[in-house]
Amino acid sequence: MGIGDNRCPVATRTLTFLASLGRRFTHKVMTGVLAFQDYVLLSARGIAAIVTPPHYTREIMAQMDSMGVGSLSIVILTGTFTGMVLALQSAASLDAFGARPYVGRLVSISMVRELGPVLTALMVTGRVGSGMAAELGSMVVTQQIDALRVLGSDPIRKLVAPRILAGMVMVPILTVLSDAVGIFGGSLISVTSLGLSWEFYWRSVGQTLVMNDFAMGLTKPVVFGFILTSVGCFTGLRTRGGTQGVGEATTRSVVVASVVILSSDFFMTKLLLAMFPVV
Amino acid sequence: MGEAAVRLDVDEPVISFRDVHLSFDRPILQGVSFDLGPGTTKIVLGGSGSGKTTILRLILGLLKPDAGTIVVDGTEVSLLDEEAMRPVRLKIGMVFQEGALFDSLTVGDNVGYRLLEERELDEAEIEERVREMLGFVGLDPFYERMPSDLSGGQRRRVAVARALVARPQIMLYDEPTTGLDPITATNLTDLIAKVRDIDGVSSIMVTHQLRDAYNVARTFMLRRDDELEPSMVEDFSILEGTAFLMLQEGQVRFEGSPHELRTSDDPYIKEFLS
Repeated sequence: MGIGDNRCPVATRTLTFLASLGRRFTHKVMTGVLAFQDYVLLSARGIAAIVTPPHYTREIMAQMDSMGVGSLSIVILTGTFTGMVLALQSAASLDAFGARPYVGRLVSISMVRELGPVLTALMVTGRVGSGMAAELGSMVVTQQIDALRVLGSDPIRKLVAPRILAGMVMVPILTVLSDAVGIFGGSLISVTSLGLSWEFYWRSVGQTLVMNDFAMGLTKPVVFGFILTSVGCFTGLRTRGGTQGVGEATTRSVVVASVVILSSDFFMTKLLLAMFPVV
Repeated sequence: MGEAAVRLDVDEPVISFRDVHLSFDRPILQGVSFDLGPGTTKIVLGGSGSGKTTILRLILGLLKPDAGTIVVDGTEVSLLDEEAMRPVRLKIGMVFQEGALFDSLTVGDNVGYRLLEERELDEAEIEERVREMLGFVGLDPFYERMPSDLSGGQRRRVAVARALVARPQIMLYDEPTTGLDPITATNLTDLIAKVRDIDGVSSIMVTHQLRDAYNVARTFMLRRDDELEPSMVEDFSILEGTAFLMLQEGQVRFEGSPHELRTSDDPYIKEFLS
């Protein structure tokens, strides 16, 4: 029915518009579902390649070096400043209840259970996840992935598995470091600005942290490491459309990985709180 | 090259396409059929988007057809999974458009990649083979260089060396001369003729560069004073061993010898050749 049709034109146009909207919505949903299915498949094949031989040891070491050593400076900087600002903010709030001595307890619990894992994962996503998407995306558009397959290599085993393994090992290690420098940063502020003593601060940290905190604080970064690397590899390997596509894949990898990390953090916290309650 | 590639039964095509169809958003190939005989060269011509490169990707199993059969060295490849394709791919050397060299590896590691992956030879043997291949394409001094240090023509020659290192029976060239100056392009077509004439490797070259396609058909390697030199045949009617296949919108428009192509009355072919 054309626009010039005079039989109820407004109703016809509205119906056409709604039908087109519905088609576009359905298409979007279908594309999303198919992309998620591809992501799950890629992740499953990546994990399978980690646990079965052969392994590319040199690739794994290179990825661990790039991800771990290469991210040291930003993780130390962000961890320290987060611990410092946490001490300042919590002291301001705790003073209202005369509870300033609890600063060490609050900083250490917050860093180990929540901020250390999340901030480290987000920093590594920005630095490494985006780089993975760009590197693999460039390999796709310059046909290097095809060349790998033609020359007898499995790109999942050669490129994806070492990156996922490196993420699952290095993000927890970086998180431990971030926790440590964050608590140390909190102690600097507590001593220099809040009038607390070193001994008191560190004693309260020591009395507060228990195994449950470390269990939660070390479970999260393993999952985050998996998410940021698998999303980086997935968006990189799905790159289409030349150098512009590489740019889009890079941006998408950071946005998607960050959102998934933050949302999965909520659900993991719910689950882990039930498994490892605060004592 | 030291050893000659394994030759096949003369009657048996090395590659056979039968009524191959493939569509994505639009039809890419529609009922394509052709054979590639052992030791012969097939030059696939056609405009952009005519499905030329798709043919190579189907042979390598990087794409699967919607219908039809593709037989490579006696193996039906259209239904094989990635693992089962591996032994078939070992028989094929592929030169990608722009080379597709691995940026993070040296020229030597790029050329020796397949041998390093197979782990059947020790490092000294691999280096010897790689240097032999780089010598064959005239780039021996570039062993330690990175791909980013090479010119476009050098990258393609390294790609040829990489494809040849495992002594394949079949060579596939995807637009090997596109974007190169005429002299570099001629060097490359001489190299393609050299691979064909010395080892009798069967090959498919996809291109839209007519001049380079003719050069491959007309160039033969002659031995003079223990040196191999490229020689050009002027008379198209006596050319053998090279056939042309012209695609138009995913369909075979022409298949025949260089002489038949030049003398064709088909208006599309005449326009393409003009």
